This record gives sequence, structure tokens and C-alpha cells, in this order.
Amino acid sequence: MAALLEVMGLTRRFGSLTALDQLSFNVSAGQVVGFLGPNGAGKTTTMRAIFGLTDLESGRVRWNGADVDSPLRRRFGYMPEERGLYPGMRIADQLIYIGRLHGMSMDAAHQATHEWLDRLGLNDRANDKVESLSHGNQQRVQLTAALLHGPELVILDEPLAGLDPSGIDEIGAILVEQAQAGCCVLFSSHQLDQVEDLCESVIIIDHGHLVVTGRVDDLATSGSRRLVVRVEGDRTGAWASDVEGVTLSEVTGGEVRLILDEHVDTDVVLEAARRTGRVSEFVMRRRRLSEVFREALQ
Amino acid sequence: MKIIRYLVTLFALIAALGVRRWRRRSRSHDGTTARVPRAPRRGIVTGDIALVMSRELRERVRSRFYLVGTVVILLVVAAAIIIPVVKHSSAPHVRIGVVDTLSPGARATISSAALTSGASVSFVTESSVAQSAAAMAAGKIDFAIVSGTEIIVNTLYSPSDLSTTAIAVRTVATRLGDQRALSAAHLSAQQAAALASAGPLSIVALHHGTTKGVNATSLIGVILIFIMLSQYNTWILVGVMEEKSSRVIEVLLSTVRPIRLLTGKVLGIGLAALMQASLIVAFALVLSKIVGSTVLHGTGPLEIASTLVWLVLGYSLYSWVYAAAGSMAERQDQVQSLALPLSLPLIVGYVVALTGASAATPSLLVKIFAYIPLTAPFAMTVLVGFGAVAWWQFAASVLITLASTFAVARLATRIYRRAILRTGSRVRFKDFRTSK
Repeated sequence: MAALLEVMGLTRRFGSLTALDQLSFNVSAGQVVGFLGPNGAGKTTTMRAIFGLTDLESGRVRWNGADVDSPLRRRFGYMPEERGLYPGMRIADQLIYIGRLHGMSMDAAHQATHEWLDRLGLNDRANDKVESLSHGNQQRVQLTAALLHGPELVILDEPLAGLDPSGIDEIGAILVEQAQAGCCVLFSSHQLDQVEDLCESVIIIDHGHLVVTGRVDDLATSGSRRLVVRVEGDRTGAWASDVEGVTLSEVTGGEVRLILDEHVDTDVVLEAARRTGRVSEFVMRRRRLSEVFREALQ
Repeated sequence: MKIIRYLVTLFALIAALGVRRWRRRSRSHDGTTARVPRAPRRGIVTGDIALVMSRELRERVRSRFYLVGTVVILLVVAAAIIIPVVKHSSAPHVRIGVVDTLSPGARATISSAALTSGASVSFVTESSVAQSAAAMAAGKIDFAIVSGTEIIVNTLYSPSDLSTTAIAVRTVATRLGDQRALSAAHLSAQQAAALASAGPLSIVALHHGTTKGVNATSLIGVILIFIMLSQYNTWILVGVMEEKSSRVIEVLLSTVRPIRLLTGKVLGIGLAALMQASLIVAFALVLSKIVGSTVLHGTGPLEIASTLVWLVLGYSLYSWVYAAAGSMAERQDQVQSLALPLSLPLIVGYVVALTGASAATPSLLVKIFAYIPLTAPFAMTVLVGFGAVAWWQFAASVLITLASTFAVARLATRIYRRAILRTGSRVRFKDFRTSK
């Protein structure tokens, strides 16, 4: 049976603001899970609560049936938002130090550090200070710090923020590889397209509540039907508003995404589109994660 | 030796408290179903504390500021030891012009009087008063004796002038005057010799006095303590703030408990300070031995030991205060606004101690400050320099400071635990009352 992270009834208040309100969800190992929500939804507070970095009014966090405590947390990896490294410390020294704090021997930490730096193409920068690296490379080193000791659970707060496409691909590939090796990977992001590509499952929260959780495939195929229509010369999709039971979801570069009620006949929609111009594309599609996200928060 | 015993007791006390805490926590973990991973060893300065401590030590000792600072202090110490020796070894020389004649007896009297004050004398024959005046103006002679009855100087020396020439002029005038009076009294050679060899009566004190003034070693010790406490506590302040602002604190606290992280940090930076201080002291001892300096003779070793004890105690107390303050700040400007009020007790203690050290006896204020933990590192060092403190007074001050340190450390770790993960505006004391 795969290992399981259980977040149970977390409540955290900051004065009059309730950041987490009886938040509960489970995450199984062996998969990459996206942790989504608008700004201020409580994602970072949840992640910090898992690592005991914030006081809780109530709730508990369990890993494989055991309450998470300090010794257990050494088996986890954590990458906080943005920085999380000593800017003026040498890269290799820093990674070895963090690895040792997670219980690695000096030799193991040294070996793992150089293997990771080699893989990331940073071995020649091992003795440079972190602050001398580009943002993308700092992000890579930070990820290495979270993964160096081979954690069973790794939690990453916005690991893709500020990366170029190749950086996103590289870090995404590492996360998928970790999950395939049996690690439980939970990460937050606002880049929903990347989350959709990387994740098997997502958890969406808002105002400290769980809103939606499930497999990306299940969420994409559930809910109302999606129809993509492209009409030559049309950039607004205004024609669709005349069709009963049809809601305009979004328009991107002339591609009109429509949400169809259960009773809507697609022939009627096609006819309405043809009255506007020549139809170059007319196809049923799955729900995008961005649509799942938007609709969940409505 | 007493000081060494105090140090051993201090470390044993810290070790015992740490073991008690570890045992209590071990008991609270009993019964967990989680598999225990290969974790860093637990203990006082082993495991995670040792890791944090060695990182702090390595990073600090490696820094350019530490290396340059150490070299500069060593140079200053070397100058303080060598310059007095060089000045002392080149004994002052007084050149006396002689117009007309000066009897061999008078010359011998002048030479022996000069020798007792550590100076040497040479006589230069001048043909006239005018020539001797010209020689004085040219700097060839310091003053002139005319016919053994009159002394000519360029300008009059005030009675408070302690320059070699002024002392020599006064001494020669007195001795030649005495000699003239003895001649006029027509004493026998035996009587004259008895009078010439007259010395002062011995003075016997019923109680040990404290009017000798403070020893230079203690004065240097006070300055060293001030410099090192200012420097290393600022490192604590800025180091804690940087860990908070860089969010590396979140990574660290996901594996290390706040109290252990802070303890490792305080020990690591403290060890860097102690290494620097020990190096300076060892350097000073070796150098003074080589050049034959008297700075560290007499009560010097006791004062050095006292300085090191108060450096450790002062650092132990202040480091927790600065660490707590650092956890409440997140930016450089916030740190700067905290640095001044924090440094006030340091500055007050330092100024009062230095001012007190310049007096002939320790002032009441210095005696009071010696028992106030925040100022004791300076004031007690000065009292030791005066030789005006009994061992039990020293021990009482140490115990008061230790007790205060434990109380401050408890409060500081509570503040640190609450404040270190709070971001945004600067954390204020009232925040601890209003929220978790």
C-alpha cells in the first residue's frame, strides 16, 4: 500500500482572519499532486503546518498513520517560496549542511551533493556563493536541497515561479521522476497549464477550505461538455450568446470555448456558428485545469 | 586557578541542564509508532546543535572581516606591548653645559642622581654664558651650570612638568644647593657623607590600600571585551535577521527545533569570538615574553583570566538578547533601529568602567555596576585591575550574571520561537500578548 499523507481538520487563525478552516485532504505517494488556490487561499500556511512551522488552533498531520513529528520531518523535503538558502554561503557547503541536518552522513551528503550538481550542470559552480547564481540556477539548488536526502514526501511552494520554459521542463521532469521512484510530491503553483501537464491529481482550496480534489483526468472529463469552435473572421464569440444553454468560457486567439448544458444539440450550435462565417474548427474537448479551477472557485 | 575552576563549573552546569532537557524530550516521544530515521545524534553539542555550531564557526572564521579584524587587533596589541619596551630601553640622556668649572664631587653627585631616575648624563664644556645659550638654542645641550652656583635654562619649567629635562633641572638644582649648604656648614667628611647618603624612612601600611590605580592589563581587557561583545553580538543580530529574511529559517526549522538552532548559532559565533580572544591573549603573552614587557607581569595573568571569563559571561548574556531582537526584524533598517537601544547598556558599562579606571580608587558607581549583569563584564574587570575585589565578590557577580543569563535565555527563546517565522512588519513585544 502506498504511503499516505493525511491532513486532518487544520484550523489556523491570524487575529480575525481565518487562514485555514477545518481543512482536510489526503495525498498518496507515487504521484505528483498540484496544490492550487487563489492568492491568500491558505496554501503556504498548510505547507508550513505540515512542517510544524506555524501554530495551529486545531488539526493534525499524519504520515503512514503516525503523527508527524521532528524525526519524521527529517524524512521529508521542503522548498519554501522564493529563497530558502543562505545567499553568502558556498553552494556545495550549503547542500551538504542541509543534507546532514536531515540525518545524512558526511560522505553520503558529499556524494549526493556532487551527483545532483553534476546532473544540474552546476558542478563547476560548487564553490561559488548562492547569490552569484541566476534565479533559475538558485531555484535548481533550492530544489536539490529539498531532494538531496531522498525524502519520502517532498513539499514545494511555487517551485516553477520565475523559470523559463526549459527550467520548468527540467524541474518538472525531476518531480515526475521522484514520484515514479515512490516519493509523494505535493507542490503549489499558479501556472495551471504546467500543473495539468505534470500532475496526476490536484487539490484546490479557497479561504482555507477544500474546494475540489481528484485526479486531473477525472476532473477534466467531469462536468458540462466543452466545445471548441473557430469561425473565420470572428474574434469575440458573440454569436454563441444567442444560443440557449450555451455559456462562453473563454476566447483565445479566435478559439472560442463553450460550455454546453446537458440538453443542448451541437447541430444548433454549428448552425449558429455558420451564420457568422466559415467554421474552421468544431470539436468536443476535455475541461482544462484552468476551467476546473475557475469553476470550482465560483 | 580559581578562574579555571569557575569555568569548569559553568560548563558543567550548562551540560547538566542540557542533559535534563534532552531526557525530558526523549520521554515525551515514547510510544510513537513512527519508524525513527537515522537522525543526527542528540546531546548538548552533538547532532544538530553541533552541525549548526560548526557551520556558524566555519562561515565566520572564513569571512574576510574576521581575518582582517584579527590581524588589526594583533597589530594594535603588538604596538601596545612593544612601544613601551622600546621607549623604556632607550633611556633618556641629558646633556649639561658647564661654564667655568664644576668640581668632580658635584659631577659625581649629578651623575648618581640622574642614574636613580633612569637617565644618563654627559657634560659639555662651554667657554661662556653666551656660548652656552647658543648651544641651548641649537639643541646641543639641555641646560647649563655656571660656576657650580647657577643653572641657566631656556624657559622656566613648571613644577608639574614631568619631562626628563625638567626633572633633571629640578634634581640638579636641589643637589647642588644641598652640596653648597653642606660646604658652608663646614662639616667633617664623615658627617657630609652621612648626610649625602640619607634616604627616606620606610612607610608601613596597616591595611592594604587600593590607591595604586588600575593595571594596564585590565584596561586593555575592558576595551577588548567591548570590541568583541559589540562585534559578535552584532553578528548574532544580523545572522538571525538574515536567516529570517532569506526564508532559510523555514528549511532549517523543518529539521531542527528552534531552541537547538539558536543554541548552535550562539555557541558557534561564541566559539569564533573565544578563538579570536584566545589567539590575541596567547599572542600577547608570547610577545611580551620575547620582548621582555612588564605589562603582563605581577597580577597580569589573573586579569587576563578574569577578562576571558567576563568575555564569555558577557557574550552568553548579550547573545540571547541580540538573538531575540534579530528574530523580530526582517530588514536591515529594522535591525539598525534595534541596534542602538541594544548597545546602550554595553556603551554605558564601558564608559563607566573606563572612567572609573582612570581614577586612583574604584568609584562607587563601578562597584555597583560590577553586580549588574549587563555592566558587570566591564566593571568587574576594572575592579580586578584595581585589586579591589575578593574572590567571593567575584563569584557572587558571576553567579548573578549566570542566573540572569538563564532567565534571559528562556525569555529570548520564547520570543525567538514566536517571532522568527512571522513575516511582514517588524514584530513588537505587544504582538506576543495579543496573538499566538
